[in-house]
Amino acid sequence: MAQIFPKWSNRVPPLVAAGVLLLGAALTGFFWYYGSPMFTDVGYRPKQPVPYSHKLHAGDLGIDCRYCHVGAEVSPVAMVPPTATCMNCHNLILTQSEKLLPVRESWATGQPIPWVRVHKTPDYAYFNHSIHLNAGVGCESCHGNIAEMEEVQQMQPLSMGWCLDCHRNPDHHLRPASEITKMNWQPPKEQLAFAARIKEERRIAPSEDCTACHR
Amino acid sequence: MSSMNHDQGSAGDKYWRSLDHLADTPEFQAIVQREFPEHASEMTHPITRRNFLSLMGASLAFAGLAGCRRPVEKIIPYVVKPEEIVPGVAQRFATAMPFGTTAYGLVVTTHEGRPTKVDGHPGHPGSLGAAHAFMQASILDLYDPDRSKTVLKEGKESSWPDFVSAWRDLYAAYIKDQGAGLAVLSGSFVSPTLARLKAEFLKAFPRARWATYEPVSDENIYEGLRLATGATLQPVYRYDRANVILSLESDFLYTGTDSISAARGFSDGRRIKTEQDSMNRLYVAESTFTVTGSAADHRLRLPGSHVAALALAVARALTAEGAVVEGMSGVDVPSGIALEHEWIQAVARDLVRARGAGIIVAGYQQPPEVHALVYAMNRALQNEGSTIIYREIKDAALPNRSDLAALVNDMNSANVTSLVILGGNPAYDAPADLNFEAALSNVRTAIHFSTHADETSRLCLWHVPQSHFLESWGDVRAADGTLSVVQPMVDPLFGAHSSIELLSLLTTGTEVSGYESVRATWSLYLKAANFEHDWRRVLHDGLLADSALPAVSPKVNGAAIAGALKALMAAVSLPGLDNMEIVFRPSASTFDGRYANNGWLQELPDPITKVAWDNVALISATTAKELKLSQGLRDGQNHQPMLRLQYQGREIDMPIWIQPGQADYTVTVALGYGRRAAGRIGDGVGVNTYALRTSTAPYFDGGLRVARLDRTYPIASVQDHGGLETETLASNEIARRAPTVLREASLEQYRKNPDFASNDVVLPGFKGLKDKDGKPVSIYDAHAYDKGYQWGMSIDLNACIGCNACTVACQSENNIPVVGKEQVLMGREMHWIRLDRYYKGSVDEPDVAFQPVACQHCENAPCEQVCPVAATVHDKEGLNVMVYNRCVGTRYCANNCPYKVRRFNFLEFNPGTSGFMQEDSPEILKLVRNPDVTVRMRGVMEKCTYCVQRISSARIAAKKEGREIRDGEVVTACQQTCPTQAIVFGNLNDPESRVARIKQANRDYELLAELNVRPRTSYLARLRNPNPDLEQPVAG
Repeated sequence: MAQIFPKWSNRVPPLVAAGVLLLGAALTGFFWYYGSPMFTDVGYRPKQPVPYSHKLHAGDLGIDCRYCHVGAEVSPVAMVPPTATCMNCHNLILTQSEKLLPVRESWATGQPIPWVRVHKTPDYAYFNHSIHLNAGVGCESCHGNIAEMEEVQQMQPLSMGWCLDCHRNPDHHLRPASEITKMNWQPPKEQLAFAARIKEERRIAPSEDCTACHR
Repeated sequence: MSSMNHDQGSAGDKYWRSLDHLADTPEFQAIVQREFPEHASEMTHPITRRNFLSLMGASLAFAGLAGCRRPVEKIIPYVVKPEEIVPGVAQRFATAMPFGTTAYGLVVTTHEGRPTKVDGHPGHPGSLGAAHAFMQASILDLYDPDRSKTVLKEGKESSWPDFVSAWRDLYAAYIKDQGAGLAVLSGSFVSPTLARLKAEFLKAFPRARWATYEPVSDENIYEGLRLATGATLQPVYRYDRANVILSLESDFLYTGTDSISAARGFSDGRRIKTEQDSMNRLYVAESTFTVTGSAADHRLRLPGSHVAALALAVARALTAEGAVVEGMSGVDVPSGIALEHEWIQAVARDLVRARGAGIIVAGYQQPPEVHALVYAMNRALQNEGSTIIYREIKDAALPNRSDLAALVNDMNSANVTSLVILGGNPAYDAPADLNFEAALSNVRTAIHFSTHADETSRLCLWHVPQSHFLESWGDVRAADGTLSVVQPMVDPLFGAHSSIELLSLLTTGTEVSGYESVRATWSLYLKAANFEHDWRRVLHDGLLADSALPAVSPKVNGAAIAGALKALMAAVSLPGLDNMEIVFRPSASTFDGRYANNGWLQELPDPITKVAWDNVALISATTAKELKLSQGLRDGQNHQPMLRLQYQGREIDMPIWIQPGQADYTVTVALGYGRRAAGRIGDGVGVNTYALRTSTAPYFDGGLRVARLDRTYPIASVQDHGGLETETLASNEIARRAPTVLREASLEQYRKNPDFASNDVVLPGFKGLKDKDGKPVSIYDAHAYDKGYQWGMSIDLNACIGCNACTVACQSENNIPVVGKEQVLMGREMHWIRLDRYYKGSVDEPDVAFQPVACQHCENAPCEQVCPVAATVHDKEGLNVMVYNRCVGTRYCANNCPYKVRRFNFLEFNPGTSGFMQEDSPEILKLVRNPDVTVRMRGVMEKCTYCVQRISSARIAAKKEGREIRDGEVVTACQQTCPTQAIVFGNLNDPESRVARIKQANRDYELLAELNVRPRTSYLARLRNPNPDLEQPVAG
């Protein structure tokens, strides 16, 4: 009786097995990357109701972050500034600018400007700005170099794994208090020694417990 | 259904949770052996399977489309940020909550101007930092979506300006003939501004009538003191100074006026550190088991109508012991009433021994004559001026039932053309014999001012919305007379007006803001030169310092007391099956009906019966047996027989509840149910018992007849839910082990055996092996937990009175949902802290003890060992953490929890938390939520977190200041609100912390210690202080 299957068919099962494995690995890799906040969230740059330029204000003009985000050092939320903060300057500067029309409208009508949220942690994760700033983590560590962004976009995945990376080893993200809001900050050569000292001084021991963020 | 076991001999000294437990019915065995009651796991949502699939399909389709894009979320900043608000940082303001003829100081937490939590004001004499359930739940009333939102005329939408112009026309007419035909019916108040406006109103309209009515009030107390002394007086009790207390049906720890300071004082008198200390002794005589009765060292059950005779007998015994009581000449104790003479003698001897350090207090239910006699007794015992002071009453409108009767008379004879009802709901809660509804139809212009368009509003021409006390200006006096300003936390959400604003309009015909009215009044109390400064100080402090009113020394009129007593004694009758006594009392949930639409309170189980969402007719076991009534579990639920109550020609049908310790031939019913126009929560809950209540006997009366009905009614009682694991054992094992769950002893036993609490614990362990700390070995590796903060809690069962305040405080702090009666029937209630109520002894004369049980945060947590997804784990500080976003809802953890403290979200109890199965839930309810706590969705497990959000914020505050968390800086919500300070929380790793020191006490024990789960919460064993003179002490 003749062979039903040709000889090369002996290679089919290992090939199929290899194919399934490859496909599985590819699928896993696909979702690992394309399903992660690294892909889905990083680079998120929604259009804002006012074409406000952080590059101009924070970069070129050099306004400190905390001029507008007054909550950063004292509150869980950094706070998006009220219209009044814009009007501090813009009732004198560029009073007729078309771009600022929504701001002037808000000021006249008392209706707030509906900014679009860029950086978001899930509802069950409670991030606190003030404790990070007080520990010496710079704005840039999470938000990127804002001073070079025309429109703000998300630079970091803000995922739990990313948070934990820093909580496990914060050494490279700790700065002197004077450098907190500085953009494009370069850590000095003796950064690790500085980090060890400031961790001792301020009792910085980032928690890796669930309760650090989840309540 | 099974019949009850009346064999008291077998009950002995064992503990039991319910009658079914005592009888150990197969139904009880079935329910305790399940983690959740029978139907809890079934999908009984009204959405059918088909609907569900189509909804699922649709939401999945949308999920597919929308899943790649994250939803756009807006940030809405301020336009002009108020200087004092930092978004994300809570603010706290002092204010006060008016309640009847007293007030409770509050500290209210607000987030960006949104009040979210109410707590007691530590410096206020009425709240002492604690808050009872009504105070805690008042925040939910603020956001009640059913509050009335607009002025109504003839039931149709109108407006405030329309009402103002309509009143101006009436004003012009009435001012001409001095207010003839004008009448006001108000609730009682103690407010300088309201009192000033009332006086001005009566000056502007001298011929107008003013009546003050409260369905439940201290009217009898005021009447009694007036009878005895001729003056209108407010008694102020100092329970902390009392060694012997006799309560004549007074529930002073719970439903009485100023209950917080009473509970604090009482528990301070029992807070003993070692066996060398002494504690106070409480005697209670009452018809119905109350929270105070459960705290008693000796409790005597007798019909309410016999309390007067008992008081007289005690007075005679006091006189015989040398404390001569005035006001008894010629009055005899009615014969035919069986009084426990031995009990009376022992009480009298004890009171005389504690002369000057005793208190006799009678409940507001008792007639004025009893209060007059009690006054004379306290005077004879020299308690007046030491443990009780009397002060004059200022700035008050005191309730008066006869004024209401006279007003109704006037209405019926068409002498009232305009009636302004200033708060209250008389069409619902006025005495049935007055027939207020019919009388109201004779009034041409009736104006009803209330928070809800309720039963009364529907009968009135005008309905004007009233603002909540958290959104209006006002002022109040506390029980001791201390003045507070009520300041608003938020603008009126629905544009309503306060009673001060309405009364200003009524009096002057012009609109005056509440703020201006209150400030005008306060120019009396604050010096003009420094007014602004002092005013701000009062607002900041929440009270005016040193404004308590001084004590007065009244004169006693013995003859008047004797005369009144004689008439009362002649009327005492003997209850029997054909002449039962009906007892009315305010509900622990709805009070007089005003909280009927408050879901937190409706779902809060009654402290004694543990029944939620209904009122029941309480009868004793003996009475039930004679009526051939029985109750029992069926399918894991209580199906209660119905009883028809007939009294003075009126009748209602109610489900019965056999209440251990209830006086025979009495039927106790709670007021405040059966509302028809309360709102979506309160409508149709329970039975309206006001239908039986008359103006002559508002609290109890004989002459009730009952008839058995041939139907049953399901009652949601949580007493058998969450039975501790010992109860899955055979009955004799329960009897052996139950006393280790709730440990108690008499003071005498404690002195003989100071270590009784830890003595009888049999710790397991592999062949008695111990680990290096001397603890039994476990198959799991033990963590050291010796670094940093190690959180733990101590609960003093000797202080806990079972008042439920912690349950509501926890609900408010931790965003715990309300699930409704159907869900409670299935055992799906969500409370993170429950109060287990244990009976001990016989069915007729049991002792009651309470045990608050929340997550014990075991170091060897059994829940963690069975979770397949590590959704419940330990953190380094010893917290047993529940990670909601990991939970997949297997419920293994709840199954393996020996304390039964885990709660599962069977349905979407917080609407809007998951994408589908949205229910029609008003958005406004989201405003009450605490933004610092995750709102849980369907399908996840939850439980007590030791208020981890408060630990986190304390840790962050401490870190920012570069220091350690101080002892007492983290206060859990239950600890904060506890009127008796039974709960202490803190760092066990700090030997100097309060909790660590308390846990060193010899009364300290762990719940189910034999399981070696090493709970972080431990209890201090309960003590009773029975009188050695009484041969068979109730406790022991």
